[in-house]
Amino acid sequence: MKFIHIADVHLGAQPDAGPAYTEKRPEELWAAFEHVVGVCRTERTDLLLIAGDLFHRQPLLRELKEVNYLFSTLSHTQVVLIAGNHDYIKKDSYYRTFRWCENVHTLFGKGLECVEFDELQTAVYGLSYHSREIREPLYNAAAPEGRQKYEILLAHGGDDRHIPIDWENLERAGFSYVALGHIHKPRSVRGDRMVYAGALEPIDCNDAGSHGYVGGEITEKGIRTRRVSCASREYINLEIQVDEDDTSGSVKERIRDHIREYGEENIYKITLKGGRSSEIFFHTERMKDWGNVLEIVDETHPAYDFDRMLRENEGNLIGAYIAGFAGCTRDSEEYQALCEGVEALLENRGRV
Amino acid sequence: MIITEIYIKNFGMLSERRLRFSDGVQVLYGENESGKSTLHAFIRAMLFGMERGRGKAAAKDAFTRYEPWENPGSYAGVLWFRCGGKRFRLERNFDRYTKRASLVCEDDGEELSVEHGDLEMLLGGMSASLYDSTVSVGQLAAAPGQELSSALENYAANFCETGGGDIDVNGALKSLREKQKETEKALHKAAGARDEMTRKMLQECRYLEQDIADLSAEYKEKKEQLAALRGGRQGAAGELEERKRYEDGKYTENGEETGKREGQRNKPAAGVIAGGLAAVFAGICGSVLGWLLSNDLQQAAAGGLVFAVSVILFLAGAGILAAGVYIRTKVGRNRAEEADKEEFRADRDSGETERIRWEMERIRAEWKEKEIRCSNLREQSEETEPGDTEKNLARRCRALKRAQEQVRLAAEALGRQTAGRLNKKASDIFAELTEGRYQSLEIGEKLQISAWDGTRRIPADRLSRGTLEQIWFSVRMASSEILQDEPMPVILDDTFALYDEKRLQSVLKWLSRQKRQVIILTCSKREEEILRQFRKY
Repeated sequence: MKFIHIADVHLGAQPDAGPAYTEKRPEELWAAFEHVVGVCRTERTDLLLIAGDLFHRQPLLRELKEVNYLFSTLSHTQVVLIAGNHDYIKKDSYYRTFRWCENVHTLFGKGLECVEFDELQTAVYGLSYHSREIREPLYNAAAPEGRQKYEILLAHGGDDRHIPIDWENLERAGFSYVALGHIHKPRSVRGDRMVYAGALEPIDCNDAGSHGYVGGEITEKGIRTRRVSCASREYINLEIQVDEDDTSGSVKERIRDHIREYGEENIYKITLKGGRSSEIFFHTERMKDWGNVLEIVDETHPAYDFDRMLRENEGNLIGAYIAGFAGCTRDSEEYQALCEGVEALLENRGRV
Repeated sequence: MIITEIYIKNFGMLSERRLRFSDGVQVLYGENESGKSTLHAFIRAMLFGMERGRGKAAAKDAFTRYEPWENPGSYAGVLWFRCGGKRFRLERNFDRYTKRASLVCEDDGEELSVEHGDLEMLLGGMSASLYDSTVSVGQLAAAPGQELSSALENYAANFCETGGGDIDVNGALKSLREKQKETEKALHKAAGARDEMTRKMLQECRYLEQDIADLSAEYKEKKEQLAALRGGRQGAAGELEERKRYEDGKYTENGEETGKREGQRNKPAAGVIAGGLAAVFAGICGSVLGWLLSNDLQQAAAGGLVFAVSVILFLAGAGILAAGVYIRTKVGRNRAEEADKEEFRADRDSGETERIRWEMERIRAEWKEKEIRCSNLREQSEETEPGDTEKNLARRCRALKRAQEQVRLAAEALGRQTAGRLNKKASDIFAELTEGRYQSLEIGEKLQISAWDGTRRIPADRLSRGTLEQIWFSVRMASSEILQDEPMPVILDDTFALYDEKRLQSVLKWLSRQKRQVIILTCSKREEEILRQFRKY
């Protein structure tokens, strides 16, 4: 039995994707979904598992129609669908009334439901969100009922506010496969058997790294899964270390080099770190005019040698000021205050 | 440190001048415009170099003021000094193109580097501004509109708060405040951009809500139309009444009434037919009876009569029957025609109903779609969070605020501490200068200055100008003792012009006792004379 497992497609989201792509990014999410349906079609996949958050918010009727149309093009594949915390089944959700085509099976109940496929010898269990948050560990009681040879759990959540999951317990329950959704970073919880597919396409700059779907096969011998990257872009968090020789120009040049290296199609968030020369101010806005940059965050600090300064300024205001910040760490707000103050005092030294 | 000799190549009004200095107190007398202040500026420039101002400031800075009119290449000089038991030669060229400085230890010929701070080390870390605020003494001067006493207090406050007076505390606070303002502006801009996005979303929400309201109104209208179609319109006569009955019949009374009405309508025809049938039956019976009787000869005549009556009766019955059947078919045909007509009307009406229902469904769907979009948008607008840039700006604002607080705190603490250390030393000097007229001076908690004459504490603003000058001098001298390990030469430029005879004597007496070089630049002969008298004794 061959299956594809996707999650967190977030159709309808409008991700901030930088100046170049924000506008067309919503379309790209649809394209990615279409692509997966296309893969199911050409590979004659038996089962398409969608582990929640197919939509970013409450689906519109036309959106459901689009999705349903795509499903209807699958002559071989059976689709099983649950609703996640984003597209949870609201009181007046179209999910409640929509008529899906025959090969689509929804597990929209609040409690665990099951759909069986005799010809695949497979049963799929799952439940759906009816509210934005569920703090009860609903999957604790989930266990295969022995209805079919292969039994799969379709689950969404795994953090405190979204159905916390006891992994040990779930592993012991003995599902052939647990198809997980909600965490956007693709990740295997237990080998091939419990896997977060991750978001099909990254949705925001926290979704760094490659994205795609999980392809798998369950046979007599057991289960094998593989991760397939197919996302059109990645969010990349670049950290650039500056030193005392750097200027706005040189940093801009380095950003450009990095973007060339990591791919111009990607979406960048850049953080400048390290000690800059105290006279330099980085014009981050002017560094953005090349490549697709979401934002540049300047976390650099003037490269002061505070120990030396403290020795040299013993008894004067600069020394007293620095001493007042004894023990603060580099990344703290205190340290920033220290740098700002010293800068101002030095600027005003010898002006009396 | 002792300045032993200077050579001025070209500096302002002075050129090719060589001056030797001795240890202890010495007086350089000169009339106005003889170059005393130029000499003063030259020594400062030799010790600390001359930074060129930028832009407009350059026109008035020291560099421009003392730049020779001719031969700018000779804008230079040499200064020999002793320090830590060694002799040094410091050469500088101030010219903008050949600017350089060299420092050589004349005892061992070692070349030192001014650039790398060797001179600064020899000066015991004294900076130009510290030099200005301590050992290089002119006259106490107030800014225009400022009281001399507050000029003095400002000097003391800044001196104490910065632990040496070479930092402008208020300037530092001001630049921090300005940065904070700028950052706040940037923060507002960033937050404004986000608000703008939220605003746009909510605006769209409002449009959607308007659409929803319109749709709801339209829906209601359609519903009313439908109700009207079903008979909501009362009071109209004729056809409408008829239709109402029809509608009622069709929808509310299961056709029972219709059936009853139909039966009533057919009654007359049924009666005629029944009569006809009875007559025909009687006629037939009569004929048969007549025929049977005529077979009996005795009653032939009676039989003939009965037969004839029966035939007539039969014929009449047949006639009536025919009429009855005719009436019935006619009524039936009318009824069918009527039904046809009504059916046509119903068809027309139910087409309209269907159309309205279909419309209502469309409106309902659109309405719901918009409702979902609206609530999705609302959700989205609630979720917009500040980005990292915005968070960083907010953080910087807080850091800048914190820096200002800390500068203030450190300055206050240092001020109290330095004032405490200064009070004793400055009081001693001040008491000596005033020959006991005042016993002490105090720089208080808030760095305000007062003098103690043994019975009263007199605040600075009540003191005479001369006394203020003496306090100023006392504080400066006390400061330089506190701050300098290496005693620097004291240079006094017309400092004592306002001192009376007695106090001038006291100050010179005090200065002669100090283990340091004192260079007095003056346009009066008083200092020279007093010192000569000292030497006599």
